Amino acid sequence: MNRRRVVVTGLGVAAANGVGVETFWRANLEGRSGISRLDAFNPDEFAVKIAGQIRGFDPLAYMTEDVAKRVDRFVHFGLAGAQMALTQSRLNLTPENVERVGVIFGSGLGGQLFHEEQILSTFERGFMRTNPISVPRVSPNAVASQIAIRYGFKGPNMVISTACASGAHAIGEAFRKIQYGEIDVCLTGGVEAPLTRFNFSAYCAMRVLSKNNDNPTAASRPFDRDRDGFVMGEGGGILLLEERDHALARGAPILSEVTGYACNSGAHHMVIPDPDGADAARVMVAALADAGLSRVDYINAHATSTKANDYAETKAIKAVFGAAAYRIPVSSTKSMIGHSIGAAGAIEAVVCTQALRDQIIPPTINLDQPDPECDLDYVPGKARPSRLQHVLSNSFGFGNCNVSLIFSQAT
Amino acid sequence: MTVPEIQQKVIAIVAQKFSVDAVKINGETRLAEDLGVDSFGAVELMFELEEAFNLKIEDSEIARVRTVNDIVAYLVSWLDKQNPPTT
Repeated sequence: MNRRRVVVTGLGVAAANGVGVETFWRANLEGRSGISRLDAFNPDEFAVKIAGQIRGFDPLAYMTEDVAKRVDRFVHFGLAGAQMALTQSRLNLTPENVERVGVIFGSGLGGQLFHEEQILSTFERGFMRTNPISVPRVSPNAVASQIAIRYGFKGPNMVISTACASGAHAIGEAFRKIQYGEIDVCLTGGVEAPLTRFNFSAYCAMRVLSKNNDNPTAASRPFDRDRDGFVMGEGGGILLLEERDHALARGAPILSEVTGYACNSGAHHMVIPDPDGADAARVMVAALADAGLSRVDYINAHATSTKANDYAETKAIKAVFGAAAYRIPVSSTKSMIGHSIGAAGAIEAVVCTQALRDQIIPPTINLDQPDPECDLDYVPGKARPSRLQHVLSNSFGFGNCNVSLIFSQAT
Repeated sequence: MTVPEIQQKVIAIVAQKFSVDAVKINGETRLAEDLGVDSFGAVELMFELEEAFNLKIEDSEIARVRTVNDIVAYLVSWLDKQNPPTT
C-alpha cells in the first residue's frame, strides 16, 4: 500500500515550566523544573503537596470569556494549543477543505474539575440543581468538539482515553488517518487538568506519587536511586499534522515528520507494567518497523520516576537495541514537568520536534545518583547538542496501554 | 423590593452570567436573539435567579421567558404571591 508522508506544521504547548513553545523549550534546554507546592486547592490534609501546576495561564488570551466559562480547564489547554499550532502553521481554511481536517485528541480523565464541583454542589443543593452543562462539559471529547466548533473542522472528531498514553495514541491515529488518505490535515495532541482534590487523593491512595514535599523541584527524578514516585502535572501538547505534499504546496513550515507508530497492550495488570518490559520492547520494535528503521538517535523515554517504570523501560530499550542501547541518549521530560497523564505523550512529541529542529537533546534533571539497574545514557543535568535524524518517544499508560512514536528530521 | 430594583438586579445577574456589559442590557433585551443564550444558559440563569431571589422557578416558566422583562414580570408576580399587598 502506498502510504502518504505526514509532517508536523504547527505546535502548541502548556506545561508547568512554560506556556507557549519557545518559553517551554527554553526551560527544557535549561533544565528548569516546573514542580512546586500546589495551590490549585489546599493540600494540607494530603500526604502529597506538590505538583506540576501551571501558573500564569490566562485562558482569555486564547478564547472569549463566554467560551472560557463554559469549558473545563483541560479544554482551555486544548483551545490555547490549537490557536498556537494553527497560527504557526498558517493553515488557510476554506469551505472546501474543512471536511478533510480532523481533530483527534487524547485525555485520560476529561473534565474532572467541573465534575467534582458539580457532585459537591448537587449533593448539597439537591438533584434538581444539577447544571445542564455537566454532560458536555465533563465528557472527555469536549476538547475535540470545542476545537471543531471554533474552527469549523468537519473531518473525523474523537478523543482517545488510554490513561498516560492518550496523547501519544491520538497522534498515532491522526498520523494513520492522513497516511491512509482519509484526511489531509489533523489537529491532534493530548490535554489534562487532573489537579482536583478527589482525583489527587485517588492517586495518593495508589501510593504512586512522590512525597518529596520539602524539595519540589527535586521530586521528579527518573532513573535516580532516590526517586520515590512520580509528580502529577497538568497541561497540553498540540500538533498540527499534515500530508507532506499538502504542506509543501502551500509553503507551510515543516517542523518534523512523523515516520513511525505502534501501539499494543501488556495484558498484565491495571497499574503495574510487565517487569520484563517485553510489551514495551515489542511496541518499540513495531514502531521501528513501521518507520523502516533499525535504530534511532535519541529516545524520549516515558520515564515517570517510578521504580517499576524505570526498570521495565530500561530493560526494554536494551532488549530492542542490544549493545547499541548504551550509545543512544535517553532523557525524561517528566523530570522537569512531572507526569501530565493524557497530555504527557503529546507534550513529549513537541519536545521531539523541537529537538530535531535545534539538533539538541534536553536533559534528565535530578539524576544525581543513578540507580545501578538503570545504566543507560540518560543525559543527566545538561542539554546536549547532537546529530539527530530520527527520535523515538515512548508512552506507557496504566492498564498496560503502550505507544511508541517516531519523529524524523524534516527533509 | 420595587420593580426597578428587581429589574436592576436581574440585569446585573444576566450581565455577569453572560459576560455582557450591564449598560447594554435593558428590559427589552432578548436572551436568545440579543445575547446568544442557549437552553443550557437559560437553565443556568434560572439557578442563579433562584438563589438570588430565594424562590423556585418551574421548567415550564423557563420556556416562556424571552426578554429580561419577562423574567422581571415573573419575579414580581411570584413575590406578590408570597407577600400580598397589605393596603
